[in-house]
Amino acid sequence: MVTGRTMRRRAMALLLVVALTITMGTMTACPWLGGKEDRSLVRVRQAGVLRVGLDASYPPFEEIDGATGEIRGFDVDLARELGRRLGVEVEIVNSGWDGLYDALEAGRFDAVISGLVYDPWQTDRVAYSISYFNAGQVLVVREDAREDEEAIAQVGDLKGRTLGVEVGSEGDVQGHELRKRLRDLTLRPYPAPTDVLRAVRQGEVDAGLVDAISARQFIRTEGGVRIVGPPVSDELYVVAVRLEDQALLKAINAALVEMRDDGTLSRLADKWL
Amino acid sequence: MGEDKAREIMVTARRVWVGMQVLVIALILVFGVRPPQPLVTLGPQRHVETINPKMGVHTRLTDEVEEWKIKRTLEMVREMGAPWIVEYFPWAYYEGEKGIYDWSHPDQVVDHARRQGLTVVARLGYVPEWARPEDSAFSYLDAAHYTDFGDFVYAFVDHFRGRVQYVIIWNEPNLALEWGFQPVNPAEYTALLRIAYARAKEADPQVQVLAGALAPTLAPKGHPEGMNDLDYLQGMYDAGAADVFDILAAHAYGWRFPVDDPPAADKVNFRRVELLRQVMVRNGDDHKPIMVTEGGWNDHPRWTKGVRPYQRIAYTIGAYELAARDWDWCLAVAPYAFRFPRPARSYQDYFTFVTPEFKPKPIYREVQRYARGERGEGW
Repeated sequence: MVTGRTMRRRAMALLLVVALTITMGTMTACPWLGGKEDRSLVRVRQAGVLRVGLDASYPPFEEIDGATGEIRGFDVDLARELGRRLGVEVEIVNSGWDGLYDALEAGRFDAVISGLVYDPWQTDRVAYSISYFNAGQVLVVREDAREDEEAIAQVGDLKGRTLGVEVGSEGDVQGHELRKRLRDLTLRPYPAPTDVLRAVRQGEVDAGLVDAISARQFIRTEGGVRIVGPPVSDELYVVAVRLEDQALLKAINAALVEMRDDGTLSRLADKWL
Repeated sequence: MGEDKAREIMVTARRVWVGMQVLVIALILVFGVRPPQPLVTLGPQRHVETINPKMGVHTRLTDEVEEWKIKRTLEMVREMGAPWIVEYFPWAYYEGEKGIYDWSHPDQVVDHARRQGLTVVARLGYVPEWARPEDSAFSYLDAAHYTDFGDFVYAFVDHFRGRVQYVIIWNEPNLALEWGFQPVNPAEYTALLRIAYARAKEADPQVQVLAGALAPTLAPKGHPEGMNDLDYLQGMYDAGAADVFDILAAHAYGWRFPVDDPPAADKVNFRRVELLRQVMVRNGDDHKPIMVTEGGWNDHPRWTKGVRPYQRIAYTIGAYELAARDWDWCLAVAPYAFRFPRPARSYQDYFTFVTPEFKPKPIYREVQRYARGERGEGW
């Protein structure tokens, strides 16, 4: 039986915990109470420039234009659009991949936009945005493939079918994994993703398993195939900022949501992929 | 009546208190005490079966914490058919305080490797904080502390006498990144090498000291990021390096070029090693062998220096074949890297043979088939 006195003690303890939590939270948020003020967005806006680090060695997301020497690509356009929405110019800083995180921490730039894949191991040093592109493996079938109950709409429908993969690729590795659980799945290896996709179009195989970028580029340049189902695996491209730059991250996330909702991200993908 | 009631309450309270204590102890036993860890043993002595005894691979066990993963990695190297491994042993990890050494982790790596029948080539570097200024890079070592590194080399070679017969002194000293972000200087590296060589031989006259491990680069003279590897090697000889190493360590990356692409001074490809060899011959060092302690190809789908996965397989096997067939001066070829403890989630993952979860990539299976003599000509 709980007495009135015990109840009062419990209530007091609860109040104390709530008060402590509020106090600590307030101190963290309020610089005049000992917390650190996040001026990251103010800093970028006052400078009038968002410095974006990337390694221009990964077309079509970032590469050096052989004719002009300028850096171009999906990520460059994305960075410029982010800058426009934040009301600042964008400065692109080309840096070797292996030093991107270190250079971000050292303040050489404000953000990294470089086909960067979300990495849970780095979350103690950087903060990631929401994803703006998924470059994971996708299932591809002929454009005029049937859409009835016999259709291939997801990997579970591959039983008894023939799947084309690029030999040695991530699709090949995943295909071998699928074969362990899907009865009578036959893998057919090809030298390159374009060979896989041509085989799909020509009906040599029932489906192909390739990365989303290769699939989209093939659909744009040659056509005759389409992507079905959700991605078979995820490779989420994200923007990284310094861990303490939460205000900047919030603004970038808001802009990315806008860009997703108003179709800007889709248009960028259509332009470059 | 009142006393009885009070006694009853006391008894109940005591029972509840004892019951709670029992419950707490039970919870501690269930959740607080770790179950006994599976015992990882060295197991029986194994031997590598291969048609090509020059096959090697660069492992990355430095940051692998769990012993069973160390063992499994090395088992898979053996099963692939590579008798050589190159592994990184960072000075800072083992001598956290001057003169205080902790060899527990490298002992695990070396003992498991040897039990799998593998020969270990130890790359030594990474300066501890106590041997460099605050906020300096891990690769920064001023001349005043060369003797500290010499002491570490002595301690390492002494500790692993009879178990590790090959040590590489430093890594890619021709890059500013690997030379403490200072201007690179072959004479300075040679001064460091001289001390390391003497201390290594003092600890074990039989140990073989590998020098160089230069990054293949075309950096022009005076470039802030590095020095052309051929010029750097000549600079080492000019500083008297011939007397202070037994084997040249070479890094042979093929980038987008096939394995048989001919060497040229203005090109970084796999056979650039032959140009290093020419520098050695020119300096009267033709009796010394070379060991490729890093290199290979990368099959990231979009990196401008990458090749397709089938090409990586073909070129890698071609590199092993080339060393066995044409490079009588080459002891071993160890491509970078066998497996990482965790995904790098970048192009680095596309150098590996096995995933962090020990899933063999197709290149692993094909190299294994080659080592077993199961592949025909012309791959």
